[in-house]
Amino acid sequence: MAAAPKLKEAATWLVLVPVAFFFVYPLLKLLLLSVKTDEGIGWGTFAEMLADARTWTAVVNSLSAAGISTLISLAIGVSLAWLCAYTDIRWKGAIHVCALLPLLIPSYVMTLAWTQMAGPAGVLNRAASWLVGTPVELWNVYGLDGIIVVMGLSHYPLVYMLTLSVLYRIPKELEWAARSSGAHSRTVFWQVTLPLALPGIAGGGLLAFISGLDNFGIPAFLGIPEGIAVLSTLIYEQVIGFGPSAFARASVLSILLGMIALAGTGLQWLLLRKSRVDQTSAEDRSVRRPLGKRKSWVEAAVWLFLVVTSFLPLLSMASTAFIKAYGLPFISENLTLKHFLFVLRDHAGTREAISNSLMLASLAGALCLVVGTLFAYWRIQRPSPLGKAMEGAVSLPYALPGMVIGLAMILTWIEPIPGWQPGVYGTVWLILIAYVTRFLILQVKSSTVSIMQVGREVEEAARISGGRFWTRWSRILLPLYAPGMLTGLFLVFLTAFTELTISSLLWSSGAQTIGVVIFGFEQAGSTTLSTALSTMIVAVILLLLAAGGLWKRYWQRRVEG
Amino acid sequence: MNDAMVVGVSKRFGEVHALHQIDLQIKSGEFVALLGPSGCGKTTLLRLLAGFESPSSGEIWLNHERVADKNQLKPPEQRRIGMVFQSFALWPHLTVYENVAFPLRHQQNVPEVYKNNPGARVAEMLEMVGLGGMEKRYPSQLSGGQKQRVALARAIVFNPTLLLMDEPLSSLDAELRIQMRKEIQHIHRELGTSIVYVTHDQSEALAMADKIVVMRGGRVEQAGTPHEIYYSPQSPFVAKFVGRANFVKGQWADPHTFLLERDGQASLPLRVSQDFAPFHADQVLPVRPDQIKLHPWNEGADGVRGRVQHVQFQGRELLYSIQIGKEEWEVASDIGTSFSYGDQVAVEILV
Repeated sequence: MAAAPKLKEAATWLVLVPVAFFFVYPLLKLLLLSVKTDEGIGWGTFAEMLADARTWTAVVNSLSAAGISTLISLAIGVSLAWLCAYTDIRWKGAIHVCALLPLLIPSYVMTLAWTQMAGPAGVLNRAASWLVGTPVELWNVYGLDGIIVVMGLSHYPLVYMLTLSVLYRIPKELEWAARSSGAHSRTVFWQVTLPLALPGIAGGGLLAFISGLDNFGIPAFLGIPEGIAVLSTLIYEQVIGFGPSAFARASVLSILLGMIALAGTGLQWLLLRKSRVDQTSAEDRSVRRPLGKRKSWVEAAVWLFLVVTSFLPLLSMASTAFIKAYGLPFISENLTLKHFLFVLRDHAGTREAISNSLMLASLAGALCLVVGTLFAYWRIQRPSPLGKAMEGAVSLPYALPGMVIGLAMILTWIEPIPGWQPGVYGTVWLILIAYVTRFLILQVKSSTVSIMQVGREVEEAARISGGRFWTRWSRILLPLYAPGMLTGLFLVFLTAFTELTISSLLWSSGAQTIGVVIFGFEQAGSTTLSTALSTMIVAVILLLLAAGGLWKRYWQRRVEG
Repeated sequence: MNDAMVVGVSKRFGEVHALHQIDLQIKSGEFVALLGPSGCGKTTLLRLLAGFESPSSGEIWLNHERVADKNQLKPPEQRRIGMVFQSFALWPHLTVYENVAFPLRHQQNVPEVYKNNPGARVAEMLEMVGLGGMEKRYPSQLSGGQKQRVALARAIVFNPTLLLMDEPLSSLDAELRIQMRKEIQHIHRELGTSIVYVTHDQSEALAMADKIVVMRGGRVEQAGTPHEIYYSPQSPFVAKFVGRANFVKGQWADPHTFLLERDGQASLPLRVSQDFAPFHADQVLPVRPDQIKLHPWNEGADGVRGRVQHVQFQGRELLYSIQIGKEEWEVASDIGTSFSYGDQVAVEILV
């Protein structure tokens, strides 16, 4: 017989203490540093930073980049979602995968690709010059306008996904009822469909906005060379620039950025709570609006868009990687594999970075898989206000911009407890801790979906049939939770494998990551090397995606019949 | 001997009292139905028997062993109980065979014969529930009724001490429900296992159970045989919930004489053989729709006069709503009578 209550209490503490230490404490450290001055507690650093014109320029740049790019994401995401959810457009599966690509390919790789397509010497401008006969510049992706466009194209999948899910869940009958009450199909869209989908659309928009604030790769690649700073790049420059009060100044900027991001997250949370479309209601994937004669035109437009925004930049990037020397025309005698060989074989830093990133992604994935799934299980089995608060704490590091978390990690782990210096600062282990802290919520969310779907009775059936703890987990629960657990593993692995923001702050020699190396090549002007490495990364991601897709198909055939 | 006992069990969830001081005995081989509206505590009581919840106070005994009190709990996996869940709870990644064979491998005290040759035992069980030869199928390839049978086979394959069923038929369609009732009765006869069956459907309870426990608000309202529950309800709630009942207004002259109120006429005395003490305070007599007979009304007759308000054709019977004074009574009448809307009828009560 088990003494149940004591065990439950112990489990609660076992969750509570690590959550507080790993997820809440670093943020407190950050807050503390921002108000620490030579004379004790004070607003000195805040006053100094707020008086600095550069701070305000960065705030305005951050807000306008995130804001305007969100409008672009909304326009693309909502249109694409409506087409996929409502109309009889063909190849929906392929459109869906292409629309999700920008989420899976790291934004700095996509940015690099855009510089190869629309940079001053990119494919676009060279083609235009060749057509006109004299050198012309159609558009230069470097600068704030480029940041906005690339950001909008990187984050529209967030709007697309949230809108798609809410559109599928709007009961068809609501629209039929409006039609049979005499409303024209356009009226139905504006009066019924759009208001019902609005919480999902707005939630996706806010997510795109927060991601815009968080993003470091795009402004770092497109803004730093032009001297344009946003908050995330300004924090980076402060920390990298060192100086006596660098950390304090960076922490003030982090708090500014963090507050804006949290306001966005709060607003998004409120909106999702107000959603009037029941999240648990069944998805209806039937065609509601046949496009008729316009169908082929719409399809052509969609594919033109996907090709121009996803494939052309990536192909431009790949073409640069195969060129002997940057700037030579793309003809057969100029092609070479030497850049690929160089980064893979001869460049020690890259080899090290690849093995670091692989190790970091695998360990972070494995740790998150175990901890995140157990946390999700505990959270669902014992619903309580405390559990909810702890889930909030775990999601904080992901809701806050990566720069903010990177800084908080440095501040915490130099000396986590007064007198204890674990010596992880300046090693890959700090990056690992930071990754697990930041990405754990991805695994928790994915595992939660599976655990909720499987339901309590399935485990109870195993218990009542005599299944002990290990039997239940190995024979029943793990196989059934596998889809969600593997989705989470896939997400954490991929995100960590190509991560740039945190590692750009935490790296040191010998502890570089793939993102840091690509960023370093780009800053040093070694474009052929950065594109070669990026091209390989994209290939690896596409392979992983294909493998994941195949596995999912196998699973569905087996269990869902 | 396989019996179970619930002694003075209460269960609180935070501030909510789900069960108050429940006493219940399940004798060996008995089929007990826990009947009540949703939220009455019947499912909580079943989960306490299974071991998924522990009592806030009181004790639970299985086979003369105390398995739970407020300090200790023998976990479900050690209780040797079979259970059929409302949602079937089949494991979707295992075949029918693997689902049914699971308890044979993991339960305690499984007879050696079954353990040594699980294939034969599973086949025998599947045969019994009418699914012979379906071993290799996955649950997703089965219909709702077939899933229910697999769930049933899984629950009984190891000869459980006690079989618990939580609204097992509620997700099946009407025709299948009637058929499954017979099969559950058949299995009960074959195995002789004690069964605790939770339902909110009074006709299921009346049809199958040896004993019905009517629950309401976490308390036992009445326990007895189906016949007792139906014909001698001990509270207005039981009378209303199990079968329909008209609460006829009047006055109790003495425990065996009810004076029926009549519009503008002297009250009509009725002989009542049963004890209806719980209804004396309210001055009503519970009358089942089938305990009322209708006759054509003859002017000047001495009886209760009513007017037909609704007629519903039900196939083998007619359901009338009869207006009597300000009251409306439900009357079930055989198909031979034929009154239509607005007819005057004489109403006769046969209790």
